[in-house]
Amino acid sequence: MSIGIEICVNGLHHQLDVKPQTTLLEVLREQLRLTGTKEGCGTGDCGTCTVLLDGVTVNSCLVLAVDAVGHEVTTIEALATDAGLHPLQQSFIEHNAMQCGFCTPAMILSAKALLDRKPAPETAEIKQALSGVLCRCGSYKKIIEAVVAGGEQMRRER
Amino acid sequence: MSQTYVGKPVPRLDGLEKVTGQARYTVDLDLPGILYGAVLRSPLPHARIVDINCDEARRMPGVRAVVTGRDFPYTFGGPVKDQPFLAIDRVLYVGEPVAAVAAETEFAAQEAARKIRVTYQELPALFDPRDALGETAAVLHPDLHTYRRASQYDIVPGSNICTIRRYSTGNLEQGFAEADEIFEDEYYIHAVAHSPLETHAAAAQYSAAKNEYTVWTSSDRPYRLATVLSEALGISLNQVRFHSMFSGGGFGGKAALVAEAVAVALARFTQGRPVKVVYSREEELTASQTRHAAFMKLKTGVKRDGTFTARHADVVWDNGAYCSLGPDVAYRGVLTIFGPYRIPSIGLLSRLVYTNKEIGGAYRGFGTTQATWACEAQMDVIAEKLKIDPLELRLKNAYVDGDLYLNGQMMRTVGLKDTLTLAARKIGWGSPKQQAAGSKRRGIGMACTIKPTATPTTSYCFIRINQDASVVLLCGSPEVGGGQKTVLAQIAAESIGVPIGSVSVPHPDTQYTPFDDAVGSSRTTYHMGNAIRMASREVREKILVHAGKILGRQPEALRLSEGSISDGSGAELMTLEGVLQKVVPRGGCIIGEGQYSPEGSPLLAAAPGQTAMSSIFWLFATHAAEVEVDSETGVVRVLRVAAAHDVGRAINPALCEQQIEGAVIMGLSNTLFEEFKMEKGRILNDTLADYRLASTMDLPQIDSIMVESMHEEGPFGAKGVGEPAAAPTAPAIANAIFDAVGVRIHNLPITPEKILQAMRQSAKNPPVQD
Repeated sequence: MSIGIEICVNGLHHQLDVKPQTTLLEVLREQLRLTGTKEGCGTGDCGTCTVLLDGVTVNSCLVLAVDAVGHEVTTIEALATDAGLHPLQQSFIEHNAMQCGFCTPAMILSAKALLDRKPAPETAEIKQALSGVLCRCGSYKKIIEAVVAGGEQMRRER
Repeated sequence: MSQTYVGKPVPRLDGLEKVTGQARYTVDLDLPGILYGAVLRSPLPHARIVDINCDEARRMPGVRAVVTGRDFPYTFGGPVKDQPFLAIDRVLYVGEPVAAVAAETEFAAQEAARKIRVTYQELPALFDPRDALGETAAVLHPDLHTYRRASQYDIVPGSNICTIRRYSTGNLEQGFAEADEIFEDEYYIHAVAHSPLETHAAAAQYSAAKNEYTVWTSSDRPYRLATVLSEALGISLNQVRFHSMFSGGGFGGKAALVAEAVAVALARFTQGRPVKVVYSREEELTASQTRHAAFMKLKTGVKRDGTFTARHADVVWDNGAYCSLGPDVAYRGVLTIFGPYRIPSIGLLSRLVYTNKEIGGAYRGFGTTQATWACEAQMDVIAEKLKIDPLELRLKNAYVDGDLYLNGQMMRTVGLKDTLTLAARKIGWGSPKQQAAGSKRRGIGMACTIKPTATPTTSYCFIRINQDASVVLLCGSPEVGGGQKTVLAQIAAESIGVPIGSVSVPHPDTQYTPFDDAVGSSRTTYHMGNAIRMASREVREKILVHAGKILGRQPEALRLSEGSISDGSGAELMTLEGVLQKVVPRGGCIIGEGQYSPEGSPLLAAAPGQTAMSSIFWLFATHAAEVEVDSETGVVRVLRVAAAHDVGRAINPALCEQQIEGAVIMGLSNTLFEEFKMEKGRILNDTLADYRLASTMDLPQIDSIMVESMHEEGPFGAKGVGEPAAAPTAPAIANAIFDAVGVRIHNLPITPEKILQAMRQSAKNPPVQD
């Protein structure tokens, strides 16, 4: 059985056929080929599949595609525009805040969700906001530094 | 001469791809006609396969191939070729691949795999390598003596010992006789998962016309794997082609054929269609590879003043079902159990023992992590008993420049003492202890380590300068997260004299990129860096000869820097692009090649017959940790780690820091959180909810300190950093816990339960003061 749905990803509306059990992650990676969103476990434990649903972080492996209908999905592919990189992307590069890079999209989106909600968070809040995304390379220190710097730049641009 | 790129925290070349989600990993690979693989795995730790019935699976919708070990009856492995691609007639661990399916969708493949019917006859299983050593234990590899293997390893046919290693120097008996105190302690270090965020993944495609396999991999050593595969199948290196993609972490776990083995076996039967195999997290945790667990017995003789007289080490490595790179771990990595210390007489017995468990393989540190745990935990026991400060005891015995290693090799560029004193100073060694509130107790501790690099190994590269002066660096070193592309591009840009922005470093493809041994053993910067220096020199000389002809000058009088040709005065005479336009006006390029091996270096000279143990460089590191232990709950929080590493010249200090910071987190996570819970050979905690990794919430303050003891043959003096980085973390934490609450943990991991139990025991039997 498949269901026709309309789903809005990065501002674009897509008509898709999905199964009731199809996850948002499967739609993003397999149907829309937006592979910047990663799958690290499929059970909501590692956070590498993090995307924004109406600006709030979700594990896209735990969200059914049908439940994303009527919501705005944002993936890493939407952050850079013709005007350039998002300040967080820029600061992640400047601070070398990645190693293998597999968790990087999820880290950046988690940071964006926090900074959009709270422009000047405490370090403890940053740690908390990023704690749902695992980084086995252990880049946490530089990621937190990049989020602080990216946040400052976002405030300047406001 | 001042340097433009070397020693600078140049931002990563792969940063833009990674922050925009465009970096493509093996799991992201899509190919025309791609099929998806799934694996049926053994539910039993040891059994004979009586029958496999694939009839129903083959009739399932979307299925294109079902393959068993009998269909693809080859074996492969590390130094001992003991492993089938898919189980043949028997299974040796829970999770061993028994059959595989390729289908139009991953779901269809998984559904079909479930329909394969296997009849097993269960056999008694061995889970503890010490039991496996018993005389009556079932022999898991009765045909061990018939396996293909590398000649330098001694096997013990008819037992469960895969390889055995003995080594001694001096006179052990006399050494112990001269000692004032003899310390005998036993330590255990547990198996842990590599847990890269990108699970094992591979794709393979087979051409029947050419009997040729193309493989896409996230391994750190495409050339090594190509060699393993070509030898296993009896085909030439021309008939196996490995493409590297970005790797989502490996830490040693991707140093062997894992998902690649399944993908290759399937691809043989899909009539030319490519097959992608992506391990689930459950498969990653339970059926890929682990760090070897090890039982280590140390007997150390020491004079009252802290001078070592002798040490004997008996190490039993839990190999798991197949050996992978275990023989190397048990041969070389084990030597770190003698520490970075002068010990006149040593004796070693190192046995790699088969059990019915997940395969033990290469893991960041390659045995030195296990050995460092025992060595450095016992160091503090010795210091306490002799009433010598642990830092002083280490400094007293530490290797210095000119000391001889265990095989008689003279040690050069030994920054060990600096790592000890700098880490100690940073953590506040010797200053009054910080007090904590309530039931919390604070303590500090330290540990150091020594790590060789695999020697001799080779690296080759080609450098191509295009007509427009852009530079292509062709080398077989994949980017596995350490910043390999960036560091190698820095060395190339500096050595040729071009802007780093003009250098591209494509992913390795064994069909085009020349040979490289591996991104492993902290060898890439040094070995590939040296190959790049040579290739760079060649293209640079060619360019200057051409420029000299064009300008009517002697090439020796010209300089190339940042793509600009000048003379001694520094004024630009012409650009590199201008030279190329003149030299190859109708298109073309300038090419250079480099090849590096330390073979024959005078630095490797050792006692007769012992040069195989020499290392072209030695890495040293000290971690000093401050912990807070809750004496009521036993919970440990690591507050600070000062990590000092002798890296040689830091080509990119930011990337070195990152390796150190990352390794501290990994070491902390391995030590305090990670442990396989097993029942009859089955790993019960097969999710990242139950197998816990450190998160941002566990991040201590980390102070990375780089000691730059310049290596005379290293590129710009560089050595390496990544491998030893996690080794001292566990004993540093354990020694700090002793400082905080007065108990010593001998068996990793360190859990609150073990601390509480040890505290209760020590309250019952307070140590006798003498």
